[in-house]
Amino acid sequence: MEHFIETIGRNMFAIFGVMALGGAAVVVASRSAVHSVLAFLFAMLCIAGCFLALEAEFLGMAQILVYAGGIVVLFLFVVMLVEVTKAKQKEVFQLQSRYAIGAVLLGVAAFSAVFRKVIFGAASPQALVLRPDLAQGLKVAEQNAQAVSRGLFADYLLPFEILSVVLLVALVGAVVLAKTERV
Amino acid sequence: MVNLNAVLLISFALFSIGIVGVLIRRNALVILMCVELMLNAANLNFIAFARHSGSVSGQAFALLVMGFAAAEVSVGLALVVALYRKRDTVQVDDINLLKG
Repeated sequence: MEHFIETIGRNMFAIFGVMALGGAAVVVASRSAVHSVLAFLFAMLCIAGCFLALEAEFLGMAQILVYAGGIVVLFLFVVMLVEVTKAKQKEVFQLQSRYAIGAVLLGVAAFSAVFRKVIFGAASPQALVLRPDLAQGLKVAEQNAQAVSRGLFADYLLPFEILSVVLLVALVGAVVLAKTERV
Repeated sequence: MVNLNAVLLISFALFSIGIVGVLIRRNALVILMCVELMLNAANLNFIAFARHSGSVSGQAFALLVMGFAAAEVSVGLALVVALYRKRDTVQVDDINLLKG
């Protein structure tokens, strides 16, 4: 039993990753937009779990707050606003779906051909394993938050400030776009 | 201990699912969600490589990407609402005129 739990703990990333892929597939495949939004929420939570498994605790929590708390609720609001008069349920997928899926599969095949050696081949010199010795500063959640803030406010202050301006512009733009004509 | 190749594989699969969704769905809201999926796949790569190289820059940039994704969603949803007001539909196939 203990061994089982330990195995799960070691493969946490793979478990969350596969669940996120399942959620993403449901987002694409489901007929109803509300189901898509719920599957999207599930996928985002699983990706937050992936972040935690990669020892990015601060980003995992930020992912839950931003996506589950903000973006999914926004999506749900708009879906409820827009999709209620959905009597004229038409075709879900585009006409060119077959060609699109074929093109993407071609891309996947090309990628796999390039990375076949790295992923499956036994010839790779050593497995690319994440190095714990270099990530000393990121171990505990507090240390992780400190490290991220150091990176954000010391090394990348200019992108951060640009982001704040972009968010302001997006805020004003969203209000202008969505407001009704009669003032 | 997480294998970097596993992270790359999963983020690649997530990105492919996002591209397929953008290309084949008719509903503009679902297309926006698939764009979000692709951004998250990129974030996963950022964090995996930050972890791999022991530097925190990747995590800082992942946070920035999250902020830009939020801005993009707010503008995109406002566009969808404006379109719905004007054309009474969110199916991208019905929106085929440059002049409203």
